[in-house]
Amino acid sequence: MAAVAALLVGCATPPPDDDPEAKAEFEQVNDPLEPTNRVIFSANEGIDTYFLRPLAVGYRTAVPSFGRDRISDMIDNLKSPIYFANDLLQGNFTLAGATLERFALNTSFGVFGLMDVAEPMGIPGHQSDFGQTMAVWGIDDGPYLVLPLFGPSNPRDAVGMLAESYADPLDYYLQTGGRHWAYWTRMGVTAISKREAYLDALDDVKRTSLDYYSAMRSLYRQRRSAEINGAKNPSQYVVPSANMSALPANVLTEDTERQ
Amino acid sequence: MIKMLSRSTLLRATFTLLVVLTLGTTPSHAQTDDAARKFVGALAQRAITTVADRQISQIERDERFRKLFVSAFDIPEIGRFVLSRYWRAATPDQQQEFLSLFEDITVLTWAKRFQDYNGESLETVSASKDGDHSWMVDSHILRNQGPQVPVQWRLRESDDGSFRVVDIIVEGVSMAITHRSDYASAMQSNGGRIDGLLSIMRTKLDQLKAAG
Repeated sequence: MAAVAALLVGCATPPPDDDPEAKAEFEQVNDPLEPTNRVIFSANEGIDTYFLRPLAVGYRTAVPSFGRDRISDMIDNLKSPIYFANDLLQGNFTLAGATLERFALNTSFGVFGLMDVAEPMGIPGHQSDFGQTMAVWGIDDGPYLVLPLFGPSNPRDAVGMLAESYADPLDYYLQTGGRHWAYWTRMGVTAISKREAYLDALDDVKRTSLDYYSAMRSLYRQRRSAEINGAKNPSQYVVPSANMSALPANVLTEDTERQ
Repeated sequence: MIKMLSRSTLLRATFTLLVVLTLGTTPSHAQTDDAARKFVGALAQRAITTVADRQISQIERDERFRKLFVSAFDIPEIGRFVLSRYWRAATPDQQQEFLSLFEDITVLTWAKRFQDYNGESLETVSASKDGDHSWMVDSHILRNQGPQVPVQWRLRESDDGSFRVVDIIVEGVSMAITHRSDYASAMQSNGGRIDGLLSIMRTKLDQLKAAG
């Protein structure tokens, strides 16, 4: 019991004031709960090693890549309401339009989202979440957090994830009228499909890093800030070939600035 | 007449001086955006040709890959960045051993990544100068299926005008920054001693070698 209490209040000791470089590093790492985070991280690792990763490997062996793509396309299409709402909340109206178009095309011609027909038509997919939205609104991420089961996060992204779990209209529908099995199936399939997608990348990080925990922390932070930069500057999605356009440069600039 | 002569001499001298100054400030082997872009394209092509060459033995292939990698990447520069403030605290011997281990680990890591090569190709998009001797090249990896992967290359132009890679940024994730964070943590968990880090690196290298 005392051990658990010590764990919960476990904080990393900041370096002394007379070592400015060590201090700058400590702040940049921004992981004051590191001792606790490491414990949760290794518990997650155990679950991953004995449960989730084997499932993902089995899924890769059993289902050919064509089938796996159909499943991940469908999962992605079902997230469209969340992407759309966040595009709007971020003020990215062009992206919101793209999400809407993709949903319409993929749900109809793509047979309930099984095929991403919009991408070859020049409307590539993107993902927006509420953590990103809050970042666009100027909310800082806060210290690094490792969540049980969900892994690397921070207070802002954790709140975003929680908010989304209440905002997903499909989840509302599935949680009523004896459709709970479908709700859990969606969650389970999403977890396995996502884990399969990261199989090689995570194996690589684990194999090559000296300290898996801190390599993952750095990767999560960098990936997240790249996504947020993308959400703040959506022009990279919207005008992929601006330099090849016949429009004068100032028209394009105005257009992208308006978003 | 004397006045005229001296004036034209003065003019000529000034002109000569200007030319010398201009040439002096602009190195004769100054690189261009296009050269930076082509360097990355050629490097990717050579790496693919090397790993895809089935005419030579695995040992020969590894050796060629290592030579290519060491010549194209500025490993001492990356190593110094990764070790950051600990670099200055290290003795020359420790620095030397760190760089040698770092080179071996990096080469093996990338050799393994290329072993899974499956027909991907690299398309360079653009390059821009973003510092005195620093260039950023935008590219993406084209795969048989699935979306393209954006990759940025940070190059440094050395004094002889040749390029060296100092960082690769895949989907917004910098290899150098990830290594730096990883190595700093490994070091701290060993009491902040370089020798502790070197010993973890030796163990890691043995693991990588054993895994092939």
